[in-house]
Amino acid sequence: MTIAAGQLDSTFAALADPTRRAIVARLARGDATVNELAEPFAMSLPGISKHLKVLERCGLISRTRNAQFRPCHLERAALDSAAGWIEENRRIWSERFDKLDQHLRDIQSQSDRKKGDDQHD
Amino acid sequence: MTDQTGPDELVYTRIFDAPRGLVFRCLIEPEHLTHFWGPAGVSTPLETIKVNPVPGGVFETVMVNDADGSSYPTRAVFIEVSEPERLVWTEPDSGMTTTSTLRELGGSRTEVRIHQTHVPEPFRSAEARAGFATSLDRFAAYLATVA
Repeated sequence: MTIAAGQLDSTFAALADPTRRAIVARLARGDATVNELAEPFAMSLPGISKHLKVLERCGLISRTRNAQFRPCHLERAALDSAAGWIEENRRIWSERFDKLDQHLRDIQSQSDRKKGDDQHD
Repeated sequence: MTDQTGPDELVYTRIFDAPRGLVFRCLIEPEHLTHFWGPAGVSTPLETIKVNPVPGGVFETVMVNDADGSSYPTRAVFIEVSEPERLVWTEPDSGMTTTSTLRELGGSRTEVRIHQTHVPEPFRSAEARAGFATSLDRFAAYLATVA
């Protein structure tokens, strides 16, 4: 709950595309140049560059400005916040359901006791 | 506890030892919600819960952290209320839609399936949805293995 879901929209939007997810997965193994990233895809360099711009804009990747081949670098923090949101959301529902389970037990045992009392009257 | 259906979707299921009608009331009545809506260490005071269980009606809560008192207001609007089997609400701020489906399992047990979609506006077209090859949470799990 520390992360507002709305702030993550651009990250989720960027990750909604399978090519961009593949690029991010590749960069999770280490920095790579645009040429290296384009290799596994049947896509032109400008096509890949467009995807990289989307990833760069939402802060998921960064590119060295000066180096000749401008290798792409995965910004883990941005990715972690997206993954963290998913985990957080899962945790909230899990704990909420634990409490609901207990609450259902409580109210059902109360109503059982009440029924028992009624029978004694 | 969890499974994945589609790509942009998160699904949680849990089986409760209680009849479906009662579980459904727990999901829409403030007197019940206050007992369980906040996760561990987080309370949802009764006076902060507003529920008007009709399409277009509000579903608002304020979750309060027991340790430091910080609060997390949430605001949703019901899209569908079909007692006792289905509730759908959407959070206008984030666009996230949550569908709760209650299924009778016999022996007074009920399965609750929470299905959430968090699809940012530009990606809500049919073509974009078809482009989702794997679910976001599966993707997160995958990244954890390669990182």
